[in-house]
Amino acid sequence: MTSFLTAFFSGTAQGAIYALVSLGLVLVWRGAGIVNFAQMGQAMFTTYIASQLIQHSYSYWSAFVIALISGAALGALVDLGLMRPLTSRKNSQLLNSQSMRTTIPVIASLGILGVLKALAGIFWAGEERGFPSPVAPNAIKIGSTNLAITGFDLFVIGVVFLTLVLTTIFFTKTGMGLAMRASALNPEVTRLSGIKVGSVRTLGWAISGTASSLAGLLVTPRTNLSPNTLDLLLIVGFTAAVVGGLTSLAGSVLGGFILGYVISFVNVYSAPENVFIAILIFLLLALFIRPQGILGSKEVRRV
Amino acid sequence: MSKRREHKIIGLRSTLLSIALFLFFILLSQQFDPYNQSQLANIATLLIAVLSITLLTGASGQISLGQGAIMAVGGYGSALLVTRLGFSMWISFILAIFISALFGLFLGLAAARLSGPYLAGTTLVMALAIPSIAVRFESFFSGDVGLSVDYGMPPVWLTNLVGEISIEEWSLYVVLPFTAAALFAVLNLSNTRTGRTWRAVRDNEVSAALSGINIQRTKVIVFVCASGLAGLAGALYGFRGLVAPSVYPTDLSLTLLTAAVIGGLRSIGGAIFGTFAIVFLPDLIEKITKNLAIPETIGNYLPALTIGTLLLLTVILNPRGAAGALEHIRHRKKH
Amino acid sequence: MLAISNLVTEFASVKALNGVSFQAKPGLITTVIGANGAGKSTLLRTISGLERASSGSIKWFDQELTHKSVESIVRSGIAQVPEGHAVISQLSVGENIELGGLFRKRIARGDLAIATKEVYELFPILYERRNEAAGSLSGGERQMLAISRALVSRPKLLLLDEPSLGLAPLISAQIISIVNDLCRATGLTVLLVEQNANTALAVADHGILLALGKVVADLPAKEMIADSSLRAAYLGY
Ligand SMILES: Nc1ncnc2c1ncn2[C@@H]1O[C@H](COP(=O)(O)OP(=O)(O)O)[C@@H](O)[C@H]1O
Ligand SMILES: [Mg+2]
Repeated sequence: MTSFLTAFFSGTAQGAIYALVSLGLVLVWRGAGIVNFAQMGQAMFTTYIASQLIQHSYSYWSAFVIALISGAALGALVDLGLMRPLTSRKNSQLLNSQSMRTTIPVIASLGILGVLKALAGIFWAGEERGFPSPVAPNAIKIGSTNLAITGFDLFVIGVVFLTLVLTTIFFTKTGMGLAMRASALNPEVTRLSGIKVGSVRTLGWAISGTASSLAGLLVTPRTNLSPNTLDLLLIVGFTAAVVGGLTSLAGSVLGGFILGYVISFVNVYSAPENVFIAILIFLLLALFIRPQGILGSKEVRRV
Repeated sequence: MSKRREHKIIGLRSTLLSIALFLFFILLSQQFDPYNQSQLANIATLLIAVLSITLLTGASGQISLGQGAIMAVGGYGSALLVTRLGFSMWISFILAIFISALFGLFLGLAAARLSGPYLAGTTLVMALAIPSIAVRFESFFSGDVGLSVDYGMPPVWLTNLVGEISIEEWSLYVVLPFTAAALFAVLNLSNTRTGRTWRAVRDNEVSAALSGINIQRTKVIVFVCASGLAGLAGALYGFRGLVAPSVYPTDLSLTLLTAAVIGGLRSIGGAIFGTFAIVFLPDLIEKITKNLAIPETIGNYLPALTIGTLLLLTVILNPRGAAGALEHIRHRKKH
Repeated sequence: MLAISNLVTEFASVKALNGVSFQAKPGLITTVIGANGAGKSTLLRTISGLERASSGSIKWFDQELTHKSVESIVRSGIAQVPEGHAVISQLSVGENIELGGLFRKRIARGDLAIATKEVYELFPILYERRNEAAGSLSGGERQMLAISRALVSRPKLLLLDEPSLGLAPLISAQIISIVNDLCRATGLTVLLVEQNANTALAVADHGILLALGKVVADLPAKEMIADSSLRAAYLGY
């Protein structure tokens, strides 16, 4: 029973982080038709920025906020500086080919990932370092019995829950949220409504950058920080996005939690070295059984 | 020109080119010290894997970030055949092609339903997961330690023929025939009707389907061919000394893709250029950092930085890679 | 006044518009008719900025529209209802209408509320179904929604691309008559593209006949209706 609860709670906390990563991927995919493989590279970079600030005796929370803002800026920069010029280029023989239009941005995002990792290595020496959390990672006690959940788990779940609520309000209750959904669903009708679809897309990149930056801040107290630590998170986030349906924001969050439980239960009941294989099997099963994802819609899948 | 004659001429051209590549590598190796000779053998090996990407992405538009994992399949396949079943190295190389092609068939069946980023992501997951299978089934695959295999010693008839040769030269001699054969195969494939079918699928699936091409089947066939090539490369790569998860890391997959992209995804000459670049560039950078006395903590990351930057610049400035740039210059001169 | 002169729009090798010139007078309905592939949609898309003209000019009063972005053209009062009941089916009816007026939210919030109320009065069925997904509407209702999305932006020029396409005759007549009333009541300028010449010419003031990217007739609507040889030559009936 205790091991079940442990798996459940740590699955919820991990799943919350995966949900953020997956949400970030889906935001960009819906808006721009690009899967951004550099996403967790960007997050790694902003987490290093926070870590540097904390080392220079800034408070945790100011470093936290600055990291989120740099995440947004970095996301917008990737779009403005690279992806937008790349995808809007006309008359390029290579980009006229259907499959290459999706392949080239993938390659570009891998380039960014490589450059960010190398730069982080050069700037911050690349050795693994810890990252602080504002809450101690000890199990919560009631009287003298240890509960299966730690204060840090609760912190992560709380922060992500708040983020998801704010995101939902943004998308369903604000004009800008409506503009973002509309641009993703039908850019032409949206442009004909007088909305600057390009700017809306850049905003999507910025929000995605913020979400993944948050994921970086929340995961590194447990995994430590090095140029490569967040690679795994990208893979899991991608799987979560596919499982949930790449076109659905709600699906991406759901997929994140599902992956959290899968990984956590494999960890507790099986062995950590089975996690990768479990992810691969899960991904392949999802692709064969329901390629549009749990909440994705078939028509809109941009393939 | 009749079809038959056309085929004959293409066949002749690819035969000549493959022989030329073979001789070029041999001549080049005569100028090199043992270290660079072994680097040359690396190039000849990795070139096969890069050609598999040229085939897959350049000719049919599918993208794989997991060619390194398929190399691992070929590597483990051949190493197990040799160490467990006592097969000869040469036969194990040939069988590695079939093992990884079979693997590619399963993968291709999944991949044919996917395209673009889906395929990229799935193959990336695979690149991470496959090496961990070796750790998971440790008793069979020897876990992190891996399987020790090597090219052995040069046979007597060869040393009688050309005199004493070093281990490095011998590794080059083992690899080169396969490289030439792979080049021959890829040249032939891309010049025939099959190649044209693949390109039609790449450029527009809908119109390819309208002209009677079976898209799914075409994609699976390409995947199988590319996997066979990658598996062969993986087997040759492993026999440098060790088949282990650390020999086929995720970065290997990305490095191979980089080679194909900076050389030019659609050009076989580009694949050769790109492979030379990714193997020799780190050495060159190391030399420069040593001369400039750049601290090692920075120097360690300069190759990755350079390769990443090259990848970005290629995509931004000239998505057709070095081969595309060359063609552009040639075109201009004509006018 | 919308004045188009020598407009050329090309796709790869096809000249979809090959030197089109005509004028549409303010406050009137001008209809552009022509067979399938004549270039009607390309004309509207070029006016809206969705396609780039390779040469020629499009003037709306004294504003030159070629080289302007779609958004700024829409914001200067030119709204298009694209071909095929273009609404966003995954959004609700209300959201589709909200989308059309979104860019005016900050500059004219009060008037936006009035404009929204007006389109709901024009099409009460949309008000009833405002919370349902636009995809669940019938063809005629979708067309009404597409027109409403355009109207809440308070356009001065309305571009309609085959509003009757795929609709039952009764419904398309109803939609066209609503557009007609609107034009007469508010002084809206309308450019109505139709394949169905009879429906369009019945309400229009002026007719333009387009064939293979060229204007082949530019006549008052009444005269065009009367000219049966034109129809026989270009529309085949
Ligand atoms: N995006 C496009 N790419 C290539 N050709 C196009 C495109 N859009 C339209 N065309 C061509 O331009 C011509 C005019 O098309 P269109 O304006 O849609 O005609 P209409 O609306 O009168 O039926 C046709 O020959 C059509 O094939
Ligand atoms: Mg049309």
